[in-house]
Amino acid sequence: MNACETTELEAVAVERENIVHLPLGLLGFESTKRYALLASPDEAPFCWLQVLGDPGLAFLVLSPFEVLPEYQMELSEEDTEFLELASPADALVYCVVTLHANGAATMNLKGPIVLNRFTLTGKQVVLVNAADYALQHPIRTLH
Amino acid sequence: MLVLSRKVGESVVIGGGIVVTITRVDGEAVRLGIEAPRNVPVHRHEIYEEIQGNNRQALTRSRQPVPRLPQRDALAPVPGKNPESVPA
Repeated sequence: MNACETTELEAVAVERENIVHLPLGLLGFESTKRYALLASPDEAPFCWLQVLGDPGLAFLVLSPFEVLPEYQMELSEEDTEFLELASPADALVYCVVTLHANGAATMNLKGPIVLNRFTLTGKQVVLVNAADYALQHPIRTLH
Repeated sequence: MLVLSRKVGESVVIGGGIVVTITRVDGEAVRLGIEAPRNVPVHRHEIYEEIQGNNRQALTRSRQPVPRLPQRDALAPVPGKNPESVPA
């Protein structure tokens, strides 16, 4: 408990932060369940999903709609229930961004992180229509 | 690996809380019904591996400079979908 409290205090220094709970972790990181979602105006629309208790570890995330306004997510009934989503407007959606060594950036559109905006509890889901989207969808960036 | 023979309609129970039922066999394709508690995620193995691998690749050890996106003023915003990430 002490470790968590300390890192929450550290995170207060950022401009806007929310503590996000992913009860099932991310795929491959099942035991890492608590994150700070960090947004700062000079990095917008990107955000960091930073592991609570280990500020050195973070995932860069981005709303898929910033890149692909027509993105269509089909959630399974189980995921909708798990997230307690009464309507699509209750969801915040972030995709994991990969910054590649060659400078390219891609985002995972098959397995977005969906949060209930009221409970800030979320899950990395696999879309029912995952076959329609790429694991590494290119993001056009300015250099 | 434990290997069991099952017929359509028959099941196996794993750990008391997970039931896997053979619902249909169609040539080489076997259709499974899986009942598991909410906290036990079930995924097709290959997509699990893909997303796990992508997450590992995406994990950063330190905050890096973030790329900038081209302006998309010409694009209409998506109502209700994304109010959090509209730049101030």
